[in-house]
Amino acid sequence: MLLYYLLPKRVQWGLLLAASYGFYLAGGPSTIVYLLFTTAVTYGAGLLLGALNQKGKQLPPQDKKAGLQRIRSKKNAVVLLTCLVNFGLLYFLKYWGFTAEVLDQVTGISLAVPDLLMPLGISFYIFQSIGYVIDCHRGKYPPERNFFRYALFISFFPQVVQGPIARFDQLSPQLFSPKKLDYENLQYGIQLAMWGYFKKLVLAERIGVMVNTVYSDYGSYPGSILAFATLGYCIQLYCDFSGGIDITRGIAKMLGIDLAENFRCPIYARSLTDYWRRWHITLGSWMRDYVFYPLALSKPFRKLGSFGRAHLGGVMGKILATSAATFVVYFIIGIWHGANFRYIFYGFYNGILITAGLLLEPAFVKLRAKLPFSCDSRGFHGVQMVRTWLIVFVGRYITRAPRLLAAFVMLKETVLHFQPSALVDGTILTLGIGAMDYMVVFLGMAVILLVEWYQEKGGHARKWLSQRSACVQVGAIMIPLLVIVLLGAIGQNYVAAEFIYAQF
Amino acid sequence: MSPKKWVISFLCCLAALPLLLAGFNFVVDPFGVFGNCTWYSFSETLNPRVAKISYLKEHFDQYDSYLVGCSSTSSFPVEDLNQYLDASFYNTIVYGADMSDSEKIVQYLLANDEVKNIVLNVYIDNGMVYGTGEDELTMKLPAEVSGAPALPYYLSYLFADPNYAFDKIEAAMEDSFLTKPFDVFNEETGAYDKRVRDIEHIGDMERYLEAYPEFVTYPHVPQTMEQIDACMESIQRIKEMCKAAGTTLYVVCAPVYSDYLANFTAEDIGAFYTALAQVTPYWDFSYSSVSEEPRYFYDATHFRNAVGTMALGRMFGNDTIYIPEDFGVYVTEQTVGEHIKTLTNRFEREDESYTQEVPILMYHHLSQETGSGTTISAAAFEDQIAALQANGYTAVTLEDLYDYVTYGTELPDKPIVITFDDGYESNYTLAYPILERYGFCGTIFTIGVSVGKDTYKDTGAAIIPHFDWEQAREMVASGVIEIGSHTYDFHQSEALDPAPVRSGVLQLPGESEEDYITAFRSDISRSLAEIEAGLGEPVHILAYPFGFYTELSQVLCREQGIYATLTVEERVNTLVKGLPQCLYGLGRFNVTESSGQELIARLEA
Repeated sequence: MLLYYLLPKRVQWGLLLAASYGFYLAGGPSTIVYLLFTTAVTYGAGLLLGALNQKGKQLPPQDKKAGLQRIRSKKNAVVLLTCLVNFGLLYFLKYWGFTAEVLDQVTGISLAVPDLLMPLGISFYIFQSIGYVIDCHRGKYPPERNFFRYALFISFFPQVVQGPIARFDQLSPQLFSPKKLDYENLQYGIQLAMWGYFKKLVLAERIGVMVNTVYSDYGSYPGSILAFATLGYCIQLYCDFSGGIDITRGIAKMLGIDLAENFRCPIYARSLTDYWRRWHITLGSWMRDYVFYPLALSKPFRKLGSFGRAHLGGVMGKILATSAATFVVYFIIGIWHGANFRYIFYGFYNGILITAGLLLEPAFVKLRAKLPFSCDSRGFHGVQMVRTWLIVFVGRYITRAPRLLAAFVMLKETVLHFQPSALVDGTILTLGIGAMDYMVVFLGMAVILLVEWYQEKGGHARKWLSQRSACVQVGAIMIPLLVIVLLGAIGQNYVAAEFIYAQF
Repeated sequence: MSPKKWVISFLCCLAALPLLLAGFNFVVDPFGVFGNCTWYSFSETLNPRVAKISYLKEHFDQYDSYLVGCSSTSSFPVEDLNQYLDASFYNTIVYGADMSDSEKIVQYLLANDEVKNIVLNVYIDNGMVYGTGEDELTMKLPAEVSGAPALPYYLSYLFADPNYAFDKIEAAMEDSFLTKPFDVFNEETGAYDKRVRDIEHIGDMERYLEAYPEFVTYPHVPQTMEQIDACMESIQRIKEMCKAAGTTLYVVCAPVYSDYLANFTAEDIGAFYTALAQVTPYWDFSYSSVSEEPRYFYDATHFRNAVGTMALGRMFGNDTIYIPEDFGVYVTEQTVGEHIKTLTNRFEREDESYTQEVPILMYHHLSQETGSGTTISAAAFEDQIAALQANGYTAVTLEDLYDYVTYGTELPDKPIVITFDDGYESNYTLAYPILERYGFCGTIFTIGVSVGKDTYKDTGAAIIPHFDWEQAREMVASGVIEIGSHTYDFHQSEALDPAPVRSGVLQLPGESEEDYITAFRSDISRSLAEIEAGLGEPVHILAYPFGFYTELSQVLCREQGIYATLTVEERVNTLVKGLPQCLYGLGRFNVTESSGQELIARLEA
């Protein structure tokens, strides 16, 4: 950090590149070739597209239409090829094993599955670089000519592993502009990173122990405990992922770089669509820009739209194509998460619910008009939030269960054999964590929800804090630090004194 | 606060963290490195190597002799050694010690104290590992013992994981009178605190194997001894150091459970014990009939304290206590060749020669009429005694049982103990003459507050009359009756006692452990003292009122010198010679109005 601000401003980004590759190498040296490969391919594709765009602009007026058509097909070919190569690689690394397994079970044909290491963050950086290529195709910005600068955009270390998925036009100016030491950035960055560490180390890791205990032996627990563990998993996932992103954004902020927000108080989502706008925002917006729009505007979908308007009529007809595209997007989001039936089903689950919501919207509008209370009331918003929680909650069974079938079994148990008494008879204290741990998670979540509620209301938690007295502010440094260190960082590898010999 | 100030505050806070950690570790001092908040038993459990040396530095003046070795060394009782050698022993045992640890500890002891005796335990494991020099906080030796640089040593404890310190604070809040997993050492002796393990009732093999299933299918894991040479060189140096310091060195090889010994090859065993004989003569207890009896072991590599007593008895020529004939051989360079053969020539042991089944009967009040409940008619009682005699039973006292387990004094065929609870006058008027007539004997447990009384304490409420001290003396003098304690006033009654009424010897609800222990000690010692005053001789046996007892009550009884406690659990007792703890928690058959034949049928079912 010190070096970064001491270096001549011109080469600051060089240090970032070195740090990024150093970081990536530390994570697993052998997989760096994939990163380099994707970087090289998309870099080349960008240049090619830039050149084609340039050529299009220089076409003589008489030949413009035909020439543009030619160039367009060339550009399409470049994008298609780049996508094929990259997604092919992603498919091979991430989904090949699953394909082989399914194929083996269904047809008995066994495919060779090479034992390859999954490159860190491959789903993220491939999406990020494909976004760049499509933007180049659209001529949104000229391609990056400097390979190393482009390599930094793809590999920027705080985000390479788990996002947020950045856009070239937003990130690159920040990466390459000279940075002066800015205390405000440092302060914000540190605060954000501490907040992230708190969520990740203190809360997610803690509750994760309980979740693992229950899910690894789900047959032994009644429905209430399964639901309890799934609630725990919701907390774990949110704290782990959003905490990780906070750390990422905090570190970037310390370097004077603003990364995109990836979460915006998802607990306050009032519908599943809203939820996906608040949870993993950069994935959702990537899908919107690079899957949904191209798909909705593509020929088959336009045809589908005409078909709908012609044959179905009414609102249904109008939104048929949109709904189909929406469904595809959520289906892809589902399988983006991983290669197995659970995620495929998870894709269906989200896709079907959201599409159904879209298709039924006119009916809802009518229904709402007849309701005896206002749909803008707080009470109704609350009901919508609870409904969204339930949908997300059920979805978590699917993503966390060891197998898809297990998710169904667990859901069935939750509904049919709930046994609420198990929640109070001390069973929850036998799930790997103690009363103190639950208390920590409970209080931690209360703090998070309070802060998020304040932000959701338009408040500014950091600003509020910066207006307190120096004492309070130092307390707000020391206490979180102690909490993170004592309840999070240490204790993970702590081996209590071994009482092997104590038993006699 | 400006962002700049904030960042500076943050950096200061960050820098303060290690200082806080160091301060916390220094003050709480879980490992006992800095001499603060000393709780040796806790620290020794975390790392005996460090904390025992810390303890000794403060207490060198109390000891002049030391036991050194790995964890099995714990079971050589220092009390016995003190008696045999007229010395003050401290047991420096550290778990997982190899000979390099032992050598360094001996070196340190000789350099820091005038040492009369060193008893060095050479366990068979010492041939396997040597000089691992573990650096974990829980395993390392103090710098002054290992010779490692002091600064990194102290820093490692200063910046240790604060969870150790938190554990110490938590443990301090949970500490109790009995051993907990976090304080397994006895500070004064240095040995493991086995108060609980040494009152644990040991009976028949079936019960024992149920409690210790590891002995049923002890895993066969072949072991190799690759460090024999290094180990022996170390022992040679220990020998020389002791000689130079004028310290007497006793080398002993602790008993090894047979199945564990079977993990080693005959060649390795031969090489190990031969090499040891070439360095020094030694007492070898490694393999004997003791090794074939799981009840003599806590687990495969740790023998019981009672076995340690036998071993020391053999070494120091105590021929009063029971010691199996083949247990313990003094091995020299000349005799080792022959001796090796006995180590590798293992055998099955016959149970009959050193165990004995003994049923105990429990009576209360006798009456002239047909009895009911716990009361039995004199006629039925006589019929039962006659039937026992006709069926070959011989009555023995609890003292006879004590002599059997302690000294190996044989019991007659079909021994049986006849006991009476509460001390009713009818025991004197009816039971005593019958027993005398049949040549039987019996044991009566008196309740302190009821001796000689026919009313309950100071309530004036009429109760069944109890015999007085004169009658008691007469019975004891006849040799027919033995008296024991049924507590002084722990035999309380819901109907007659004011609340809160204690259930036998158990702790009252809401009573603190400390108050309970005080009450228990005062009741039992008063009971024993009054019996001694009444009879003119001390007694060491107790029957629990209503049969209620706990681990804690057993430990407290033992502390009061009681060697046998009786319950109301219905079972025949199995006694094992050399294991006096068999007498804690003896089972009894409650006898009610029934014929002699019925009783015999019940006993022999």
